Amino acid sequence: MSQSETDARPDSDEVKSAAAATTSDESGPSYLTVTKTFSSWAFTLDHKRIGLMYLIGVLFMFLLGGVFALLVRTELFSPLAMITPLFADTAEAQADLYNKWFTTHGAIMVFLVIIPGVPAALGNFILPLLLGAKDVAFPRLNLGSFYLWVIGAIFFVYVLFSGGIDTGWTFYTPYSAESGTAVIPALIGVFILGFSSIFTGLNFIVTIHKMRPKGMTWFKMPLFLWATYSTAVIQVLATPVLGITLLLLILERSLGIGIFDPRNGGDPVLFQHFFWFYSHPAVYIMIVPPMGVVSELIATHSHKRIFGYTYIAFSSVAIAIFSFLVWGHHMFTSGQSTTMSIIFSGITFSVGIPSAIKVFNWLATMYKGAIVLNTAMLYGISFIFLFTIGGLTGLFLGVLSIDTHLHDTYFVVAHFHYVMMGSGLVGFIGGLHHWWPKITGKMYDEFLGRIGCILVFIGFNLTFIPQFVMGSLGMPRRYYTYADKFEVYHQLSTVGSYVMAAGFFLTAYYLIQSLISGKKAPMNPWGGNSLEWHTPSPPPLENFHTVPVATDPYDYEGLEYDPATGNYDTKRTG
Amino acid sequence: MIQVPILLADSEPSFWLPAPVSNFAGPIDGDFYFVYWVSIFFLVLITLLLGYFMWKFRTPPGAHAQSHKDHHIVLEVVWTGIPIILSVMMFWYGYRGYVDMTVPPNESISIVAEAQKWAWNFSYASNGASIPGMSDDFNVVRAQVRAGEINAEQAEAAEAKILEKAGLHVPMGVPIDVTVMAADVLHALFIPAFRVKKDCVPGRTGKLWFIATEPGIFDLFCAEYCGQGHSWMHSKVVVHETVEEYEKWLEVAGSYDETLPFDENGKIVWKRRGCISCHSIDGSKKVGPSWDGMFGSTRKFTTTGTPGEAMADEAYIQESIRFPMKKIAEGYPPQMPVVKLTDKELLWVTEYIKSLSQNSGGTESPRKEN
Repeated sequence: MSQSETDARPDSDEVKSAAAATTSDESGPSYLTVTKTFSSWAFTLDHKRIGLMYLIGVLFMFLLGGVFALLVRTELFSPLAMITPLFADTAEAQADLYNKWFTTHGAIMVFLVIIPGVPAALGNFILPLLLGAKDVAFPRLNLGSFYLWVIGAIFFVYVLFSGGIDTGWTFYTPYSAESGTAVIPALIGVFILGFSSIFTGLNFIVTIHKMRPKGMTWFKMPLFLWATYSTAVIQVLATPVLGITLLLLILERSLGIGIFDPRNGGDPVLFQHFFWFYSHPAVYIMIVPPMGVVSELIATHSHKRIFGYTYIAFSSVAIAIFSFLVWGHHMFTSGQSTTMSIIFSGITFSVGIPSAIKVFNWLATMYKGAIVLNTAMLYGISFIFLFTIGGLTGLFLGVLSIDTHLHDTYFVVAHFHYVMMGSGLVGFIGGLHHWWPKITGKMYDEFLGRIGCILVFIGFNLTFIPQFVMGSLGMPRRYYTYADKFEVYHQLSTVGSYVMAAGFFLTAYYLIQSLISGKKAPMNPWGGNSLEWHTPSPPPLENFHTVPVATDPYDYEGLEYDPATGNYDTKRTG
Repeated sequence: MIQVPILLADSEPSFWLPAPVSNFAGPIDGDFYFVYWVSIFFLVLITLLLGYFMWKFRTPPGAHAQSHKDHHIVLEVVWTGIPIILSVMMFWYGYRGYVDMTVPPNESISIVAEAQKWAWNFSYASNGASIPGMSDDFNVVRAQVRAGEINAEQAEAAEAKILEKAGLHVPMGVPIDVTVMAADVLHALFIPAFRVKKDCVPGRTGKLWFIATEPGIFDLFCAEYCGQGHSWMHSKVVVHETVEEYEKWLEVAGSYDETLPFDENGKIVWKRRGCISCHSIDGSKKVGPSWDGMFGSTRKFTTTGTPGEAMADEAYIQESIRFPMKKIAEGYPPQMPVVKLTDKELLWVTEYIKSLSQNSGGTESPRKEN
């Protein structure tokens, strides 16, 4: 493995000479500074550089998707036309525009931000470090995944400039077969992004199987690796189904093959089955990796051994398995058979159990810990609260009778934002803060960080709690205008979205500031004991100066804090 | 003319749910509040523990944990077991309620709800009457209220006037069996006050049923995204207090006044059968071509990909209505559904289109106004 890896690096000679120049000094060139040319980044096979490029791309797309979210929320501040008239003249054109906004928001956030967010951006950077490895198993494939993501993103940007798309991110037929908007380029974009996701998953599976260090058995792995592994299995098994479905939809649109469009003898409900067969597991691609992040955050910043390790590890695997068997709960009112609905409802509740187990174990980890309430930990705690709401409101939707009332209302919108954003993205942002010193070698302003987290937390709840209420009162989703009785809830929600946006802009500000004038990060600023904290921040190109031996990732007792350097020094080995 | 009763239901909406006015509202709300209180209990428990641990065990950097206990089998069993028991209960309640909702009783009144972009139409099995949802008329009232042109009371009266010949009308206390269909894309029939919802799938039929338990007027929404007019595609449900009252209404509402001139009845057809959603009468471009000045003009179209030209005479118009996919007007998407007009309706609407070429058209209905 190590032989082929060395061969895979075009710049390996350069690395050796650079490392040789600073043999004893641990502050040798980092992966960021070891080479400086454009091509050394564009064609890098280093997982850290690829992860960083992913991170920049994902954050940029998050900004773009966020702008569309704010446009949507601003338009909904009133049932009257708010800002669509700035861009379109007739009422019809304004409604079309709104439909494009919410579609673009959803598609960008799901396919370009949350799905690649933790696994491809943070995971790429951190996974080999957690394993004490030099890189992932297939560095070239890794670079390929990144460029596929870029090509997918280009397709989306093309869609934006060619008039947008108005089908909703779910592409339900037959509307998507007849919509006059740029559906095919968007489908091609998602298809390509699917392969990016599959390749990343494949890479991680092989890396975790083959590249664990001496002494790291499966049950000594950091929990983030269990989460990533479970996710990778979903990515590899479920994403091809989405690919095939989207190809069929492209053929339906272009050739009228009559598989989904009833005018040609097709079945629109079949599309929903195919779509959710991927897209429900995809929800767990979005949530399980952030759960893994949170397991690391809570344990590290509580400086206490994670509680119920095996239960958390197996709950990730259980979620991955069950995730394939519940897709029909998106279709309780679609006209699928009653028997199927009942079976899907039953299995759906089984997904709730492992989620509950995780929450209780995180809580138990905090009990009698030494909790440092820094920004990363605040995000971890926010995650637990928001995920609890996201999970509990999922119960309402799993109950067949209640779902009949709540399906396709704002209750569902609020529920999945609690899971996908309140948990998925908050977990991602928490992980970003946790590993920021390791990635960039800089510390950020903790005071502003906490303010930012609190703003996001308050703004998020203010945005989505009113949506639960109006949803259960009967406000359907994807509405451009609405009955006056829902106005007050929409107004609260819109104000909340602005508070949240303020939190994110503040976060962007202090993170950029830290790059310019941030204090240099020590090797181990938080007192973590997984392997990434045993190498300089930022790490050298080859990750570790000496081949590391597996540590117990959750044993924090051998670390002593040095207030002068802000570092946790290792007092004993192993 | 039979007056539509303006009655307010006795039941009031709660903070979370609309007024419960159907046989299903009670059981479903019961299930809702069971899950709700379980959720509140766990949310409060978790939040309190989270807050307490945050406060109690917070330290500056450098401290060590007070305990190293990392597993407790009894705790794991308890917090796995309790959620399992509660989940099984929730599943069971939901299952019971759902099965009740799937099978309508035999002695029910049958109504067919047809959805198309972006209008509802309700056909009554007892006399074949076809009653429109009249979304656009309700939107006009909504717009007038928002513009301050009319007050709430006048709006109620205006809606009652529309409902004389529109909306889904049902008697109280009798099982209503609604078959849902769609002409073009997916829609969903959603009546929040009754807690019922069913997707309208083109090429399939779906079923929902309910017994209304209080007289009054309630919202009816389209809940499945269907494009541009999705949020305009709403109507009302009118619950009559007695079957007699309902039947009297149906008899009058289902008929056309055949003493009116053809083109005037044609205008009613235009509104009633949903042509209004896609065809303007003032020359403005909607999904389909405007009817203003259409009659007698030269139409450019494509037939299975081949371009053609023809004059819009009676034959052309009636063919376009009966077989909308045959000739697709240039510059417009092939989206027109087959609307099953009666022979008389077809005649009247043709006369109406004709009349629009003789004098200038009417007014566009405002929707979400600027």
